[in-house]
Amino acid sequence: MNYEPRIIAFLCTWCSYTGADTAGIARIKSPANIRAIRVPCSGRVSPELVMRAFDQGADGVLVLGCHIGECHYDTGNHRAAKRLPILHALMQFAGLEPERFHLDWVSASEGERFSRIATEFTEAVRALGPVAWRIAPGGWQAAAESLLPPEKEVPMPALDCAGKTDAIRAKAKELLTSREVGCVIGYEVGPRGRTRPAFAYSAEEADRLVWNPDVSNNLASYLPVKLKPKGKEPPKKVAVVVKSCDSRAVNVLLAENQFTRDQVHVIGVTCEGVRDGSGSLQVRCQTCSERIPVVYDTLIGEPPAAVQAGAVARADWLEKLPPRERMEFWLSQFDRCIRCYACRQACPMCNCPICLYERDDSIWVGMGIGLNEKRTFHLGRAYHLAGRCVGCNECERACPMDIPISLLNQKLAGEIEKTFGHRAGLIIAPSPIVTVLSGEYKEG
Amino acid sequence: MSKSNSARKRWLISQAELETWLDGLAQARTLIAPRQVSGIMLYRPVARSDEIAWHGQTPKSAHAGRPVLSVKEIFFPPTERLFTIQKTRQEIRLEETFPDWETVVFGIRPCDARGVKLLDALFLDTNPVDSFYARRRWNTTLIGLACKELGPTCFCTSVGGAPDNAHDMDIMLYETDGGYLAEAVTEKGRYLIPGGKWKETTASPQQSTYSGQFPVPEKGKWPEHFNDEYWLKISERCLSCRACAYVCPTCRCFAVRDEMLAPGQFERIRCWDACAGENYRRVAGGHKPRAEKGERLRNRFFCKFYYYPEQYGLGAASACTGCGRCIEVCPAGVDITEVLMALEKPA
Repeated sequence: MNYEPRIIAFLCTWCSYTGADTAGIARIKSPANIRAIRVPCSGRVSPELVMRAFDQGADGVLVLGCHIGECHYDTGNHRAAKRLPILHALMQFAGLEPERFHLDWVSASEGERFSRIATEFTEAVRALGPVAWRIAPGGWQAAAESLLPPEKEVPMPALDCAGKTDAIRAKAKELLTSREVGCVIGYEVGPRGRTRPAFAYSAEEADRLVWNPDVSNNLASYLPVKLKPKGKEPPKKVAVVVKSCDSRAVNVLLAENQFTRDQVHVIGVTCEGVRDGSGSLQVRCQTCSERIPVVYDTLIGEPPAAVQAGAVARADWLEKLPPRERMEFWLSQFDRCIRCYACRQACPMCNCPICLYERDDSIWVGMGIGLNEKRTFHLGRAYHLAGRCVGCNECERACPMDIPISLLNQKLAGEIEKTFGHRAGLIIAPSPIVTVLSGEYKEG
Repeated sequence: MSKSNSARKRWLISQAELETWLDGLAQARTLIAPRQVSGIMLYRPVARSDEIAWHGQTPKSAHAGRPVLSVKEIFFPPTERLFTIQKTRQEIRLEETFPDWETVVFGIRPCDARGVKLLDALFLDTNPVDSFYARRRWNTTLIGLACKELGPTCFCTSVGGAPDNAHDMDIMLYETDGGYLAEAVTEKGRYLIPGGKWKETTASPQQSTYSGQFPVPEKGKWPEHFNDEYWLKISERCLSCRACAYVCPTCRCFAVRDEMLAPGQFERIRCWDACAGENYRRVAGGHKPRAEKGERLRNRFFCKFYYYPEQYGLGAASACTGCGRCIEVCPAGVDITEVLMALEKPA
């Protein structure tokens, strides 16, 4: 077999690119499979670049930078060291063989080291054969359907909804009558008996607000738009009803300066969980450990009894599959996606004015509703939520095609917690992978 | 009932006969039917009749026989390559490949068939004819299945349809005791029916049961509601996703772009687009005429009940078929029937 892998190597101009030069000058052999791309710093290698390389048909991607402590921009390679392993975990989870991506450090004088890493990497990729990542149009057919294990049915606990409803209404009326806030965002029951977001601007309207086992929407996602300054007048203060997961989203939004703490009055409601369409406790609530909102101005309800933490059966099942089957699984899921962006729009963390994957001039993804584009969008979105996702699972609930999107987010939340001991939104702090060194970020 | 309706030929067939017939159809043609795909129901090609989801109720689809996506995706797919562009030093070569497969869609419900008819007004009945849509449409036979009753979000009867309306089908099937009553609606449909093998009958199909129609504002009454504050109010919960438009049997906006395949090779594609998206209608210079989501949501309703009927001469009919999918999928609980009833209410 005469297979020659195509390998893209992103080389930092100061160390690794010069290191490759050193190898050349010293006449040390390096594999010709390497297509070197010179970047100012390994910290510049955004996950989108790596994903794009695979989308375009690379068999392997190598990123080389200066040794830690020797970065010519002080901390650029720290950034690479923090975020590229997260991307690596994500792409493995999506079915890429782990050997196809490698991050390492090579200094300007280490020609031999460059050659050794390049050779080892090339041989490892060669042994795997051509990549199956890029899908030609019509080039993927669903194999035998691989179904996730069914979710556990957990009966909904009995709730004191009437008491909470009364308390929410009373607080909303007080805030609106005193003009402390201009609007209270809560829940109401719509004409079909479906619970949905409600916006109350007066004491009369506050009578519509309710609390019940179906208060699923994460209302924090309305805050950035509601609190964006329009015209000369500053936006009026807004009160928002939050469950514990929603309250974590408020913290992340605060950390990312979407609004300030004095702009919102948080009405926290203790939460025993919400139910799904079949009446069972939602999967996210089966593993939820916070039952009391982490941030609030008003707290409604008693702390509920401890809830047993359920197992994450779906993720475990997926982790145990061999890479090729895992890729098949995800392709069969993404195949259904229609790129309606309901997941993104329902997400409180997805608040970029224009999504990277929807820009007219986007070089990261085409506008087609094809398998490659859909996968790039979902993986890219998951990566952008790493360390920010609070696990409210609204993306998955909003999906009209029932794609288990939250598995991607859970996977990365787990990676972030393992590596950085960080769980999004428990305190007002941004994702550890968007900051550079621990302690570098200072509030205010 | 019109005269032509009563003159239609009808046959009485059993479930087994129906399945044998479908198996036969699947061999010579592409048979597309409702099918379970990872827990949801979609129109997908099936190789045999036992792959068909006859009654697949799923969490996302409250209506027992109705796939999550409308049949629109078969005639007007989410992404379609219009042509490829090959650029060399001397010339630019354009090449187009047209779909050419004979297809039968089985199990289509009256609301979806009505949707196809409404898409025809734009793609087929207006010049220039859309060659991709037209080829698919001409080569496809629609075999309908009457709904016995309305699903929880259905309101076809309020917008001029009915759960047993055979009007837009080629062949219509009605469930009866111990089998189906098959009715040839068009010549195209008659052609597929195995003449001698089936037992002809003069029986009339049993009418479906339904109630609870509500009045929908007439076309002429829409313009006066254009500046209502109501639109800003109801749109507050809207998330500006496109789920409603993409599941809709008659939303048909698309965007066109050239994308690079390889150096010197490009393709021109068109893909679904929807007015709910923030960048829809953005013009050169960055101005967005419908910057507020209330304006965008208003456009969705105006398009269904005023713009589209006005532009394509639908008469009193609206471009909504009452399938209720948008109500089901909306993550924020926006409800088209609520809007229609609110507009009809005297201010």
